[in-house]
Amino acid sequence: MRIVGFDTATDDTVVAAMDGDRLVFEESVPPADRRPVHSQALLDLSGRAAEALGGWDEVERIAVGVGPGTFTGIRIGIATAAGLATTTGIPAVGVSTLTALAHSIASRAEAERLMPLVDARRGEVFGCLHDGAGEPLEEPFVCGPEELAERLREGALGGAAPLAAGPGAVRFRDELLRAGFETEPDGSPVHRLDGRPFCELGAAADPVGPETLKPLYLRIPDAQLWLERDGKNGRRTDGPQGG
Amino acid sequence: MPQLAIETSCDDTCAAVLDGPRVLSNVISSQAIHEKYGGVVPEVASRHHLELAVPVVEAALAGAGAGFDDLDSVAVTAGPGLIGALLVGLSTAKAIAAPRRLPLIPTDHLHGHVAANFLEPDPIEPPFLCLIASGGHTMLAGVRDHRGFEVLGETLDDAAGEAIDKAARLLGLGFPGGPALEKLASTGDPGAFDFPVAMSRDPGLGFSFSGLKTALVYLCRDLGEEGTVERAPDLAAGFQAAVVDQLATKVRRALDAEAWPAVALGGGVAANGPLREAVASLCEQRGIPFKQVSRELCTDNAAMIGSAARYSEPLAYPEYLGFDAFATGPRGSR
Ligand SMILES: [Zn+2]
Repeated sequence: MRIVGFDTATDDTVVAAMDGDRLVFEESVPPADRRPVHSQALLDLSGRAAEALGGWDEVERIAVGVGPGTFTGIRIGIATAAGLATTTGIPAVGVSTLTALAHSIASRAEAERLMPLVDARRGEVFGCLHDGAGEPLEEPFVCGPEELAERLREGALGGAAPLAAGPGAVRFRDELLRAGFETEPDGSPVHRLDGRPFCELGAAADPVGPETLKPLYLRIPDAQLWLERDGKNGRRTDGPQGG
Repeated sequence: MPQLAIETSCDDTCAAVLDGPRVLSNVISSQAIHEKYGGVVPEVASRHHLELAVPVVEAALAGAGAGFDDLDSVAVTAGPGLIGALLVGLSTAKAIAAPRRLPLIPTDHLHGHVAANFLEPDPIEPPFLCLIASGGHTMLAGVRDHRGFEVLGETLDDAAGEAIDKAARLLGLGFPGGPALEKLASTGDPGAFDFPVAMSRDPGLGFSFSGLKTALVYLCRDLGEEGTVERAPDLAAGFQAAVVDQLATKVRRALDAEAWPAVALGGGVAANGPLREAVASLCEQRGIPFKQVSRELCTDNAAMIGSAARYSEPLAYPEYLGFDAFATGPRGSR
């Protein structure tokens, strides 16, 4: 299968193209001035990925990371995939960013269990326990490093400590090490999210279609939280309301 | 050849298909969800835009009897607006245009409100004076040509629609408050309470609505909960009259300063009956035409974006691949 895969749920803009099991394009663009460049970089990169397969006419599937990660990043990725799919007729499929990250980790490290972690801001991480081959063993979650440590202590993550990796593991490396997680130094490639697993997972996915492009936010909007908690209207700003 | 236009700057997910100044379809999916929050929540709006963008585009194409193959360009709102909301529409538009090598026309939302007046039926030609009043903006625009406008005056604090929504909330009318406040006001006495005649002594063309809102807050506090409910029609009438008076006063002053040959209105507040009447009678006194676009073209919609796009700079493929949205635009002439 000829497939273009991309992800914008983390700070990096990650794109790849595969023809069968041959990787023909892979590129990753880091943030500029600490700001992700998803909106500027994604469409250009995915167009070049398609070119590597002979152009959009030759592409058989589009795979996109649906998160969890930054809300705006997830939306840029999914909106781009949905726009490409509707205009070209190429089927699109959503892929978990954490499972793709687990596959990236598995390609670089040997471990019985993997804990891919994405920085969730607000002192928390998005994570999901995977086996050593990158298969998910639970539902993805969002929590602080203390809660992760608690789960490890209680044995909820299995016997040996999982290998924690990814941008969330870099962010909370000290806390994770103190809790007993395995991890690697900040510069280690084990933390890097590749484009390749988005293609691999996307090619294997079933079903395929717009219904799979559901964003994995894992958090409800703050306003909804306040509304449910306080019963008061959750409006937070007096900013522009448009209309 | 038809053009697709997409607008997602606030809480309405909009797509339209146009053939020049002719609107072939104009789909607006309003997000009723914000009602329970009493205002537009940016994150909630962005989430809904993502769900609605492609279905709304497909509905617009179906409504126009067109397919993607028929399109010759894609227009999209690039700003100003809620950045997360804008990015959904822009990402969608870019992704639709790029594989087809179609030009992309990034468009200014406010230019869109002005350009709604260029659409058929009954387009008007510049020059004219345009008052744009909505929940997001309040501005007097001097429109000298199709390509842009000159900001003659704008609000120093709240937008007119924002002030009306806040007033409606104080009076327990829910969101959006415009139509409900107008209805309640029609049963009240606008002279029953004293509202400050905001900005009327200011010789410029700027607007300010925060003082009116504060005045209403104090009136409600003095009346107490029961009193406020009882006098709500008079409060609504007085508040609305003060907003309309300020808007109409500034239009009059702009006409005094320069002999504009016509006046037009845009934005959600332009649907307000008393405002339309006030501006209409002003135009009648001066013997100049008053252009009223339909309600559908007044509030946020994508047809107006397509109209503005006809007079905006198209970006050829691949120039726009890296194009980004802007939350706030450059001020002044454009
Ligand atoms: Zn508007």
